[in-house]
Amino acid sequence: MGVRGLPVCVTALTSHVDRASAQRGQRGFRVTVQVLQWTAAVYLVAGLTAGLGLALETRRLERASVALLALGALLHGASFALLHFADNPPPLTDLRSACSFMAWIGTVFYLILLKRSRLQRLVVLVAPAAFLGSFLAALRAPQGAAPEAATGSWPHAHVLLASAGLSLLGLAGLAGSIFLIEHARLKSKAPLDRAFPLPSLEALDRVNAVTLAVGFLLLTMGVITGMIWLQTATGRPWSGSAHESWTLVAWVIYVALVIARFGVKQGSRQAAASAVAGFAFLLFAVVGLEYIT
Amino acid sequence: MMLLGMNHQSAPIHLRERMAVDDPGPLLQKLVDSDDIEEAVLFSTCNRVEVLVLTHSLEGARQRLRAFFRLELARVELPGDFDLDEVTYEYRDSDAVSHVLRVASALDSMVVGEPQILGQTKDAYRAAVECGACGPILGRLFQHAFSTAKRVKTETRIGERPVSVARVAVDLAKQIFERFAEKRALLIGAGEMGEVVLRTLRKSGLESICIANRTPERAAALAAQFGATAHGLDELETLIGDVDVVITSIGGDRPILTLDLASRALRKRRHRPLFVIDIGVPRNADPAIDAIDNLYRYDLDDLGSVANRNADQRAREAERAAAIVIEEQQRFDGWFAALRAVPTIRHLRDRAEGIRSRELEKAFARLELGDSEQAAVDALTRSIVNKILHAPVSRLKQEAEREEGMAYLEIARVLFELDDELDRE
Repeated sequence: MGVRGLPVCVTALTSHVDRASAQRGQRGFRVTVQVLQWTAAVYLVAGLTAGLGLALETRRLERASVALLALGALLHGASFALLHFADNPPPLTDLRSACSFMAWIGTVFYLILLKRSRLQRLVVLVAPAAFLGSFLAALRAPQGAAPEAATGSWPHAHVLLASAGLSLLGLAGLAGSIFLIEHARLKSKAPLDRAFPLPSLEALDRVNAVTLAVGFLLLTMGVITGMIWLQTATGRPWSGSAHESWTLVAWVIYVALVIARFGVKQGSRQAAASAVAGFAFLLFAVVGLEYIT
Repeated sequence: MMLLGMNHQSAPIHLRERMAVDDPGPLLQKLVDSDDIEEAVLFSTCNRVEVLVLTHSLEGARQRLRAFFRLELARVELPGDFDLDEVTYEYRDSDAVSHVLRVASALDSMVVGEPQILGQTKDAYRAAVECGACGPILGRLFQHAFSTAKRVKTETRIGERPVSVARVAVDLAKQIFERFAEKRALLIGAGEMGEVVLRTLRKSGLESICIANRTPERAAALAAQFGATAHGLDELETLIGDVDVVITSIGGDRPILTLDLASRALRKRRHRPLFVIDIGVPRNADPAIDAIDNLYRYDLDDLGSVANRNADQRAREAERAAAIVIEEQQRFDGWFAALRAVPTIRHLRDRAEGIRSRELEKAFARLELGDSEQAAVDALTRSIVNKILHAPVSRLKQEAEREEGMAYLEIARVLFELDDELDRE
């Protein structure tokens, strides 16, 4: 299948969206969905190229996959810009938009980290995650005007900051998982895996530290803006919902992780394990709980 | 084409040493001044001495090369009863081509896949070109060898897996540390093995080194070689707290790097990763330190087992590389064989051009044509001849690459009566 065929597949899968959008005459949203379809296609090609590069051990394909991922991130960013400048900007409070935003932030941050560390081979993991995020968003067009409770700057700020924080803490968890795998391999004295050589422990530890620091800051700002949003909408900063309670617990856990990491200077292995456990809990608190309740 | 040589498999080092050549230029000049040798390249490294020649008389070249090895290459006179055949090998034509490709691709090296051989091959080629001993045929062969080596390097993983303990240690260190060159290393003991590992680490970019030993004088002497600092064993705890890589290679019945010492040092370094390379026999680092997080200990057996697994994998990659070499050898053989068609094609063209010129001369004498008209007719006839010859010439070139293609050349010579011209030449 050629590169040109991929967006067609994505279009076919999401065609009902196009029809729905067209019926509503929301031209701006339709263009956004098309851009998201292209974004998903480019991410998919980036992931396939990275996989092929690893299988054939071709540096050129590895570099091409990074370039494609960057192109995908550019298109992805453009889709948000298009939404922002639409006649009646929709809220990003639904899960699909938040996932798409998280995927974008994660990709952009990964590309930034790539400048300083040898992490090229992680494209094979980052690109599929980015594809999923953009693909989910491309499945359904934004639903037009926001409900009254979600209008104004605070809901937007809350969703954007919390999603960005979640995304970066997810990156920290991913780096932590890979660190633990590589740590276990080195401890067991197994030979280096040439088929899929992982980044060095030091590089993974740095990714873990940076993403934890920035992600925690964004998450904190997300929690604060969420409380302000609630205060504006209901007159109280705390409603006692399960989402709020569990998110607060997750935030407290992250406070402990940040202190352990930057205050007590825990070891890299412990930091990696903490990042994985912390993100698993956060994911449950923010996303998993939504489905359970 | 003929190659006569000796390498690490065919001759002992004391003999290879006698044949080693620093400046091949004058020797190559002597070779190409011989009647039987048209082109020559001399290849001399610590593991091999080989001479490749292009000749029109294989037997003549063989005698000349044997005399060359015995009388001109040997620095010290060889005993009268010395049998050159026992320590040398000889390859001809396709086998010689294949051998050159294998050497350049590091398939014939002591450590298969080692990277230095390609540079040494290029140096040998350059020296032969500079003294005028390497002509178009061997030049083409060496260019082909370089591209084959590049293909082997990119299409196989033959050079990726280190097979020496020191290289394995460097590879592992790079898997732990992102900026390996910025790290600090400590060598405990000043023995030969430790020095070898330290030298490899230094080659890989590591700059900051300290050496601790029971006898500070020996540590100081080694430290001077590496631009390192020398210390006594009483400073170990402080030193381990500061460095990232520890190499232990010191005598003694009991481990010098104990669980207690390592735990204290790790706490001091705030649990930053520490890589311990223990090449001491008996072991200098207590295996119990494996329980410490962020400490990675590899002893000689661990490193050796990784190196052995790498060697097995290299052998598998070498098989893939050998297939590439065969493919490239056949390609070169095809080109070389096609050269046989060159005289026939040249004479065919000369014959056609002779006929055209003579007929044109006669026509111009009969016709009264102006300069521009003569030029037009000249161009027209030249174009007709070229177009008629294009198909048979292309076919001859193509067929000449195959052994059976010789029949085409013979038929062309008979059909166009070219043998007379070839005989005249």
